[in-house]
Amino acid sequence: MNLQRLLVERIEHRILVGTVAFLGIMVLVGWIAINENGRMQAFQRQYEARAIERGAELFTANCTTCHGANGYGGARGPALNTPYLFGHDFLAETRRERLGLETEATLATTSEERKVAISERLVALEALEAPIRQQMNAAVLKGYNPDAPSRLANLGWGGGLPNFLYTTLVHGRPTSGSYWPQAMAAWAQRAGGPLRSDQLEDLTAYIINWDKGSEWTVEDLLAVQQFPKVPADGAELAALLANAEPRIGVETPVEEIMVGLEGLSGDVQNGQTLYNGVLACSGCHMNAAVAPPTEGTWTRVNEVRLLEPQFAGYTPEMYLAESIIHPNDYIVPAYGAGLMPANFGERVTYQDLSDLIAYIASQDQPIG
Amino acid sequence: MSVLPFPSFLDDIKEKGLKRALFEGINEVVERATAGMNVQDLREALRGDAPSRKPNPRLQPHADGFWLHMRPSYFHKSVTGLYPEFRLGWLSTYFVFFETITGIFLMVWYTPSPDVAYANMLSIMANVPLGQFMRDLHRLGAEAMVLIVTLHMLRTFLTASYKKPREFTWFSGVILLALTFFLSFSGYLLPWDQLALWAVTIGASMVEAAPPEIVGTNLNLLLRGGPEIGANGLLRFYLLHVLAVPALLFIFVGVHYYKVVLHAHSLPPGEENIGEDTAKRVPLDKRVYFIPDVLTSEIMWIGITTLVLIVLVTWFFHAPLEAHANPQSTPLGTTAPWYFLWVQGALKLGDKVIWGIVFPTIVVVFLMAYPYLDVTKSRRWAHRRLQLTIAFGMAAGFTVLSYMGLPEFGVINSADSEILHELTKEPAFNHVGVLLPVPYDELAPGMYITRQFQAEPGDEASVVSAFNAEIANGAFPVEGGRTLIQYLDQGQHLPVSSLTFTTAADGTALHEAMAEFSHMMELERLELRNGWGAVIVTEWQPGLKRVDVVLSWDDVEMRGGAPVLDANGDSIPRLDANGSGIRRVNSDHIFIHENAQYFAAPGS
Repeated sequence: MNLQRLLVERIEHRILVGTVAFLGIMVLVGWIAINENGRMQAFQRQYEARAIERGAELFTANCTTCHGANGYGGARGPALNTPYLFGHDFLAETRRERLGLETEATLATTSEERKVAISERLVALEALEAPIRQQMNAAVLKGYNPDAPSRLANLGWGGGLPNFLYTTLVHGRPTSGSYWPQAMAAWAQRAGGPLRSDQLEDLTAYIINWDKGSEWTVEDLLAVQQFPKVPADGAELAALLANAEPRIGVETPVEEIMVGLEGLSGDVQNGQTLYNGVLACSGCHMNAAVAPPTEGTWTRVNEVRLLEPQFAGYTPEMYLAESIIHPNDYIVPAYGAGLMPANFGERVTYQDLSDLIAYIASQDQPIG
Repeated sequence: MSVLPFPSFLDDIKEKGLKRALFEGINEVVERATAGMNVQDLREALRGDAPSRKPNPRLQPHADGFWLHMRPSYFHKSVTGLYPEFRLGWLSTYFVFFETITGIFLMVWYTPSPDVAYANMLSIMANVPLGQFMRDLHRLGAEAMVLIVTLHMLRTFLTASYKKPREFTWFSGVILLALTFFLSFSGYLLPWDQLALWAVTIGASMVEAAPPEIVGTNLNLLLRGGPEIGANGLLRFYLLHVLAVPALLFIFVGVHYYKVVLHAHSLPPGEENIGEDTAKRVPLDKRVYFIPDVLTSEIMWIGITTLVLIVLVTWFFHAPLEAHANPQSTPLGTTAPWYFLWVQGALKLGDKVIWGIVFPTIVVVFLMAYPYLDVTKSRRWAHRRLQLTIAFGMAAGFTVLSYMGLPEFGVINSADSEILHELTKEPAFNHVGVLLPVPYDELAPGMYITRQFQAEPGDEASVVSAFNAEIANGAFPVEGGRTLIQYLDQGQHLPVSSLTFTTAADGTALHEAMAEFSHMMELERLELRNGWGAVIVTEWQPGLKRVDVVLSWDDVEMRGGAPVLDANGDSIPRLDANGSGIRRVNSDHIFIHENAQYFAAPGS
């Protein structure tokens, strides 16, 4: 038998076959090693592609209801397939030039002639931007701001977009229920959700795959049905604050406070709401453990505190006003200093203070 | 006079000259390393010459060296050919070391935790040079080891080498066989993909069936580390795989080897008188010395085996890696590893306890006890008709049982889910859904219908447009009074506003896939009465397409997983309370990325 002769009978044959086999092994391993870089890259590419496929599957099953099948958003959630999420700036070129010119105009070394040229160019740039801004109008009406075109920049997010998406998926948006029909839930198993971390990575890969880089068009922007909502708009908030009644201020001396309180009559009901709710005074002033109890305050002030020499000339109202706005000016014996927040001056108006005092008075009628 | 305060190599050079001093130095090192053979002895041995000095230096390593003292210094000529041993025992031993070495390499890159195990696999594949190579070798080596050890047992049985005095050698061999199976099986779970999780879940569920219930439940908890396989289960399987089972294996390899050397290799059955065992008494002219004949032979066999494995993993075999393990989703057609298919097949015969526990236990106990039961003296073929019949009967039985273990046997899925599965399933066991390998460019966005393939040649376009008209007229409503468009748009989140089918372009892979789809529908025409299948390809994202597969058919009367037939051999439509037929629909969708490369060669 030939095989028997080749592999068994003669030692030269065995050595030859063995040597050839080992040579073959070395050649093949060498060949594989040479191709390893290409293979690893190919695997990486293939794996990333399949991660996107799995992400698409997960998105369809879990995210479509709120974010839309094609990621344009809707009544229940914001768009993800949008240049806004990827921070594409449609006005990038003109903006860059404008900012440069504006800075140049403020320099002392810039000649008057140049300044004239700059202002002419700025007008021209505005005219260049106008049609694009016009096109984007429909998006602006849905909440898009062409001058703040990046979601991450607007949020002040320090990391990259994948991190932002992944973190959002992990924890959801716990408080978004206050400005969406329903809060985004936490999706990570570790945060109590249904998905594993690799699935969140797949989802992230899928969302990132919407990125068109520099290919985004205004049409893509206009296809968006809903941009992210901001819980409180900065400008709106400022306007609200500007129209609000002035606060007392933490530095205002008690004598001035008393002047401000003149002519105001306290509303016991509102005082109680502030005391138990918004200002949460009752959180500490309840059983004499952390702070003096609410009950009997008025009597104690009249019969104990005002007898102290430093309170000569104080009325009970004045004592209470000072205690609320400047809590550390006097510490009731046996209680700790610095426990009561000293910022109520920023939080309450004169009317609020008046209401609070009225409420405290109502809890314990003055003697006589 | 020495230049140093003690005799040194420098003195040798002074005395004898550089060349001679160097040669003598090397000679001495070689002699020490081989425990007795110098350069000249080695040269003579490898040339096939007789030893030139006495006593025979080739026996010295057996007497003085650690490794070779475990091997006999000579064999009987009759056991050194291909027959009767086929080197299966030696190769089994080799695989123990082969798997250990490749396994240690993989161990460096692996953490046994469900959080990272799968990511480790990806990293081995994508970032570790030769990572895939080592993984393929380890996996293929494991399968080869199971095969070789099994063949080794079969050979031992056929030549009756288990007979006195080698009963215990056989006994320890059966233990090694079981350990090999379990080693291979425990390694199955470690990649933490779907294949791993479900194959092991099936295996571990047999443990749970062990009676009485309290034993089964607790054994199961011990093995899985909880009611389901999770972090604890993975860690346990890992420790079994890398520590406990290998430790046992090494011990029993030692026992087995010791017994083999003690009793020597049994001669071919025909060479001895009945009842004699002359293996230990080798006449001088029949001696084949370990050095150089058996040693070169063993090294040659290692070389050939390794080369075969490397050729296989270079071009023909890659260790499978499926999607991440997901306890919530059971893949259709889950099987145990091939060497346990016979148990899975046996389980389909009936009771879990009897076929899953009692039957395999009987098999193992029968194998272990066999040499003590078969005490006939003759090892001749002609005298062992009964035993050989048993052996071939068992081999045939296990083959049939293994076939029965396949999902093709006795597992009834509805025709529509089978077809959807065939079209869309992810790659597994070198098997992939029909639509996945269609090249990305040929997957033209559009809507395609199997009706195209029932038309006469040249008539396709009109058949398809007739179908479009049917759809437009509201044919094929979906249960719950919805139209197909509503079903797709709301139920499947596929944004469609109209259904307009076109013919698949001739000569494309998509055309072939649709033809295959149509063929599957045709094969199941009894269950999927008046059925049609549609494929809707949608451009979804840059480089990503969505492919929806939709099946629609008339519901028919079913019994025991098969349609009830009338006198004409036709299926019988099922009717609702109003006496009208029920139209059923089922669908699935996949996403295909242009770089997904289903079954492209590595590195391409």
